[in-house]
This record gives sequence, C-alpha cells and structure tokens, in this order.
Amino acid sequence: MSHELTIWDLPRLLGYQFFQFALIGGVIVALSCALVGLFLILRKEAMLGDGVAHTSFGGIAIGLYLGIYPLLTALIVSVVAVLAISYMKRKGVAHSDSSIAVFLALGFSTGLIVISLAGGFNIELFSYLFGDILTIDAFDLMTVSVLGMVVLGFIGIFHKELLSVTFDAESSRLMGIPVRGLETGFSLLVALTIVLSIKVVGIILVVALLVIPGLSALQLGRSFRSTAMFSIVFGTTSVLMGLLLNAIYNVAAAGVIIFTSTGLFLFVALYKRLE
Amino acid sequence: MMGHELAEINLGQQSVHKETSKEVISIENLNVFRNGTQILKDVDLRINSGDYVGIVGPNGGGKTTLLMALLGNLARKSGTIKLFGTDIQKFTDWHRIAYVSQDAINFDNSFPVTVRELVSLGRLGRGRPGRRFKKEDWDKVEEVLEFMGLTGMARKRVGQLSGGQKQRVFIAKALVRSPELLLLDEPVAGVDAQNQEQFHKLLSVLNSQKGTTILLVSHDLAVVFCRMSKVVCVNRDVHSSELTPDLDPESFLRQGYGEHFHFVFHKHDCEADFSKQEVTINGGLK
Repeated sequence: MSHELTIWDLPRLLGYQFFQFALIGGVIVALSCALVGLFLILRKEAMLGDGVAHTSFGGIAIGLYLGIYPLLTALIVSVVAVLAISYMKRKGVAHSDSSIAVFLALGFSTGLIVISLAGGFNIELFSYLFGDILTIDAFDLMTVSVLGMVVLGFIGIFHKELLSVTFDAESSRLMGIPVRGLETGFSLLVALTIVLSIKVVGIILVVALLVIPGLSALQLGRSFRSTAMFSIVFGTTSVLMGLLLNAIYNVAAAGVIIFTSTGLFLFVALYKRLE
Repeated sequence: MMGHELAEINLGQQSVHKETSKEVISIENLNVFRNGTQILKDVDLRINSGDYVGIVGPNGGGKTTLLMALLGNLARKSGTIKLFGTDIQKFTDWHRIAYVSQDAINFDNSFPVTVRELVSLGRLGRGRPGRRFKKEDWDKVEEVLEFMGLTGMARKRVGQLSGGQKQRVFIAKALVRSPELLLLDEPVAGVDAQNQEQFHKLLSVLNSQKGTTILLVSHDLAVVFCRMSKVVCVNRDVHSSELTPDLDPESFLRQGYGEHFHFVFHKHDCEADFSKQEVTINGGLK
C-alpha cells in the first residue's frame, strides 16, 4: 500500500478483499497461536515451536523448488519433525531440547541445500521467512481456515484433558485419560499452528507469537480459563496492530506484531509488579 | 488448621453401608522385578469393601510399587490382580478408583489453575474423552468443595495455598470421582501436624460414613494402629493382619522391619490427643 494512507482510511480498507483475507487469516492465526502457545509454555516446551518452525523452512524450500504449494510441503515436514521429536523423547533416545536442535538444524540445512540447487534466494522465500500478511490469497485463506478449525476444534473439545495432562501427565494416565493420544494430538497441533502462521509472521518470528501473548496472560490470569482469554486478547491485539500498520504505513507486519506483543508483556509485567 | 468441622454430606456413594463380604482387591502370587531386583515377592492379599488399610514398611520396601500394581501401572509382573472381582487386564472401571500420589502437592506454584478448576479435572476419565461436563459433574464438584471446606477458596489459584490446603484440594480432586476405593501414597509431606490430624479425621469419616475402602501408605505407625481396620506390612514380602485387640503390633511389624525393630505402643495411646502424642520407635529400619 502507498504510505499516503492514514488510520481514517480503515473503513475503506475493510472494503478490499485482500484486507479482508488478511484480517480473517490474522485473527485465526492469533487465536491458534494464543491457545497452542499457552499450552506450550505450561508444558515447558516453548522451544518445540521454534524448532519445528525452523524445520519447516526445509519444507518451504522443497515446495518452491518442486513447484508444489509450499505450505503443504512445510506441513508434511513439520508433522514428521514433531512426531520424530516426541518419539525420540518417549523412547529416551534424546531429551526433547536436544532432538529439537537436531531437527532445527536438519530442516534448515535441507532448505539451504535446496536453495543452492535452485540457484539462490528469491523474494517469495523471503515472504515465508518473515511473513507477508497482505499477500494472503483465497487458497492461503482456505488452508489457514481449515488448519485453524482443526487446531481450535481440538482445543475446544479436549481442553480439560489437555489441562489435566499438562498439569500432571502421570496422574492423568492413572485416571484413565488417554495421555499418549492427547500428547501426540497436541504435537500435531503445534505443527499445524506453525504452518498456518507462516504467511502472517513467518518462520523466524512465529515462536514469539506463540509464546509472548501466553507469557503476558500468565501475569494476569488466576484461572486457566481467564489466562487463555487474556492470551487470546493479547495475541489478537498484536496481530491486528501488525496488520494495520502494515496496510497503512507499509511497516513489516511480523515486526510490529512482535513489538506490540512484547510491549504488552512489558506493560502487564510492570503493572503486576507495581500493583 | 482446617478451621471447620467436616460436614456430613452424602457424597453420592452407591452404598454407605459396609459390604464387608465383597472383595475389592484380590492379589495372588504377585511378583515384581525391576532391573533384575525383586521388589515384591509372592504377594497374596485380600482387601474387602469398607476396609481401612494402613500400608507400612521401610523405605524402598515396595509400598509404592504395590499401589502402582493396583493401578495397573507395572509392565513387568507375574501373578494375578483382581479389582472388584475383575482381572486387572480386563478392568475398565477406573473411575471407581482414585489415587493421590506422594508428591501431588509438589507442582509449579505459578500454574494458572484455580481450586475449582483443578478439582473438576477429577471428573475426567469417566465417559468418552472430550465430553462436556454436565450439571451433575459441577454439582459433584461443589458438593465435594463444601465437604472439604474449600468453597471459600474455590476461585483461588492452587499455587497460592498452604501445604495443608493443597493437600485438601488433591483429596477433593480424588473424591469428585465418587471412588469406592481410595489409594493414598502418604500425601502428608510438607503438611503440619494439625493438618495431618484433620486429614486422618477426614479419612475416618469417609471410611465409616461413606463406606469408602481406603488404602493409605503411612509412616505414622500410631495412626495406623489406632485408626485403621487392617495393616499391611511391605518389605519385599507382604504380611497383612486385621487390627484386632489381640494383635501384638511389635511382633507383627518385626516381620517386615526386622528383628531389631522396637515399637512401644499401648492401645490406650489411641485415646490421647494425636497431635501431642509421642510414639517411641527404637531400632527402626533394617
């Protein structure tokens, strides 16, 4: 967009399809990241998000090289990575932080090799690295919506079980809760959430959108329910701010999203200390 | 200190009358090995409905392992375990059993969960995963919160509570399952003497009024011999006895703790105030 626009042009922007796509896609991403991220923080697995995001870079590069829809290849690579990481953890092959390091490096190396074969970087790859919310097209939006429905539907249905397993997996298992199935399901949600967020914040910064709104929410929430609501509010505010400043002033959305969420975090952390 | 009397509320137990003839637990010839070491040897044990059982024995003797076996949580074992008459391999009614672990109260205090939320999680494991809680689930939660004197702190974050209060929350989480069998692995670490006394009073109420069968791993031998109906001593071998007036505690405990064990105990000690009672244990662990 040109930078003659001001905030007063917002009603006009809402009439454009590209802005509507960005808005809907952005909100789905914010909701998914806020909820999946909160569970990731409570499970002390925040770096799983970062590791899988970086691994998906290999998938994006393969997709671009072969001319396949890059989010599809990213999804396949991410799903394989989370399943492999949780398998290695379960079987005692390696702690999850070590296996994350291995897959992060492996995924990135794959991307590097593929790029060198392709003859170098291109602008499209750059948009996957850092996101480009205003380029979300109808097909992207459909992908984001389907993945988002799976993520939000799973959490909506199984949030009590996920909370129980996150709080104490062992006692949950003894209560007859299918812990292994839920943990595998949650790992897949992490992969899905990362892939659906790539167009909005990009591979490099997705972990921040996963973690920071949840961290801010933890400062304020007393119950799990209120913490989840705060996480959604902080995540959505950050994404909308990124979208607006990107559309009006042409500032990189991902950067604004992370700055906004970090600003909100500092504000609530300070408020909490002064309270 | 709990600061309230335990309310006598119907906890929805199927039967408040003791069905002493009904076998809740039946173990035959159980052997458990871990890393080549035998943890439990040739265990035969029967627990009837309404029993209040103290599980004692030296550290590392296999008390927790015995509970894990009853929860179907041991991969390498031989022998048979029946719960409510059904072989544990085929047993699916896990909602009839509730368990509170040794270190339940040692969790991350910053975890965002309120007393009511955590207690309600005890209702999981009944019915299909992902089912929505119905009115009866929430009614049960409120009933147990009131019974445990937790209603006033239901909206508090669990991590903000004292050790004694946390213990009550975890017992409440077990009780919302309306368990017929309650397994407790000495959940008194970090709980002061007065709260421990309240805890034991609560268990007595549950057992006598609600008919709940209770197995409690305890190091407090005086509590076991004063309050309970049966004692099980675990030190690889398992010995059990009804707590009848003619049982000599010292000679019974020597079967598990060894010949040098001395336990000075008189039945009239049970009349005394528990929190002030001193029990002298000499010799001790072999």
